[in-house]
Amino acid sequence: MSKSFAKHIGYDDPLEIYLSRLEGLLSADYRISRRSVALLILQEDKEILNLVQEKEKTHRQEIAGIIEEAKKHFSHPLNYIISLCRQKEAALISGQVMSVKKNTKNSLRSIVSRAMMNPFIGGPFLLLVLYYGLYKFVGVFGAGVLVNFLEEHIFSSHVNPIMISLVKNTVHFQPLQDLLVGDYGIITLGFRYAFAIILPIVATFFFAFAIIEDTGYLPRLAMLVDQLFKKIGLSGRAVIPLVLGLGCSTMATIVTRTLPTKRERIIATLLLALAIPCSAQMGVIMGLLGDKPLGLVIWLLVIIGVFLIVGFLAAKIMPGELPSFYMEIPPLRLPHLWNILRKTFVRLKWYFFEVLPLFVFASVFIWLGQLTGVFNFLVKIMEYPIRLIGLPSQASVAFLFGFFRRDYGAAGLYDLKKAGLLSGNQLVIGCITLTLFLPCIAQLLMNIKERGLRLGIAMSVFILFFSFAVGFAVSQIFLLFHLHI
Amino acid sequence: MPGAIDHEGIVSLVELKIKKKGKVAYLRAKDRHQMQKLIAIGALPGTAIVLLQKFPSYVFELGHSQFAVDKELAQAIFVKVSK
Repeated sequence: MSKSFAKHIGYDDPLEIYLSRLEGLLSADYRISRRSVALLILQEDKEILNLVQEKEKTHRQEIAGIIEEAKKHFSHPLNYIISLCRQKEAALISGQVMSVKKNTKNSLRSIVSRAMMNPFIGGPFLLLVLYYGLYKFVGVFGAGVLVNFLEEHIFSSHVNPIMISLVKNTVHFQPLQDLLVGDYGIITLGFRYAFAIILPIVATFFFAFAIIEDTGYLPRLAMLVDQLFKKIGLSGRAVIPLVLGLGCSTMATIVTRTLPTKRERIIATLLLALAIPCSAQMGVIMGLLGDKPLGLVIWLLVIIGVFLIVGFLAAKIMPGELPSFYMEIPPLRLPHLWNILRKTFVRLKWYFFEVLPLFVFASVFIWLGQLTGVFNFLVKIMEYPIRLIGLPSQASVAFLFGFFRRDYGAAGLYDLKKAGLLSGNQLVIGCITLTLFLPCIAQLLMNIKERGLRLGIAMSVFILFFSFAVGFAVSQIFLLFHLHI
Repeated sequence: MPGAIDHEGIVSLVELKIKKKGKVAYLRAKDRHQMQKLIAIGALPGTAIVLLQKFPSYVFELGHSQFAVDKELAQAIFVKVSK
């Protein structure tokens, strides 16, 4: 834009005097006009104040003095006074060039919008969205059809055999061979997992999520759940990372950055790690409990209960600023396919750069664990709590692997079920404990990256004990009431 | 509630009746952060406002946009009801 179009907003006289006094004191280069810097100083913009502190060594005191003087002069906060002047100016300009057409109040758009925000219609509507968007499209189509195709027809039959023979012919050192193409190798497990399992699941999820996002549904959902979320220390805004967590909790942990306070980010991260099952894991749990509707209902109720109770307690314990909710409700729109595809692609790209290295890292971890025998040792240790919650000791392997690949753990239980080693009760207890159990290693590393080492480890230790405690409690309740599922 | 409505017909958004039109009269934010949020959504004196919904959150039309806020923020916005 050419400079001549820049409009100079005039403020009230006293404000203009403070501004020109500030401008006169500024000597450093800020790459924006001195007037803009002076305005930001009066509004006490944190970043600019820090910058000015750093750059204006000689006039620091005087600048601070002018801010105080200006604040005393006005009975309202300065950012309020300045916003008012700007609004007046903006109204003047828009009044000259805009004409407003009266909207017909009962357009289809506004009827649907109101229905989505109605507390009685909104709930069932959410269930519909989850059923078709998440279960049918991501679960059945993405995690089922696409994963099967990529795993069996691309990786197991083409990519892996080629890579295995390539590595075995070029590298003649057994441990290195294992690291690259062993059962848990970087190529055979890390890459296969990332491309054949994660890619189709998150791609379908991001696609569905982008559609939901572009319609403008999420702010309406946020406004519906805000009061409930306040009880667990979050605001309605947190619905976005939490819904995303149903796709991939690792990615959702990154998205907690959008929450305004540290307190909300910590609570959301904890709930994502503990009680939000990701799409890969949910797929297998549906498979395990699919023929036991009562078991599925118990699983769902326990997970929702844990989500609410732990959130409630976390909100009670955690200090910090209470959440506040404000959000624009944009008009409902029909999404454009091109935008959806572009969004899905950009997210996938970003996701792969952030998460693929972690899968490679996981492969190295397992490799080290097996090489040193730590793995077998851990399996033995895990057998104690496993027996405590009434599961056969063979389930120990499934739990340990569940940490490295959340769905792998559930798949381990699937094998035990097929072998007839698990009763209905044991299946339900196993699924509950595994859902709550430590997140996958990618998510653990992301927790540490986002929340710091101390908090990341503390959360994991809590989750480790808590998941078995809940499993134990459920098994005792089954015993007490002679329940058989 | 006596005292909530003063003589000039100015009420907080929480007391406003649904579908009632008015203009933002003034803000009574409890701190800087709350004020900043209200300024961010453009809830400044003189702006036309219509309350659309009170439960589970406060939804209103402000100027040409719609916003949802919680009770704490809604209590800080005072509206002069149009006759």
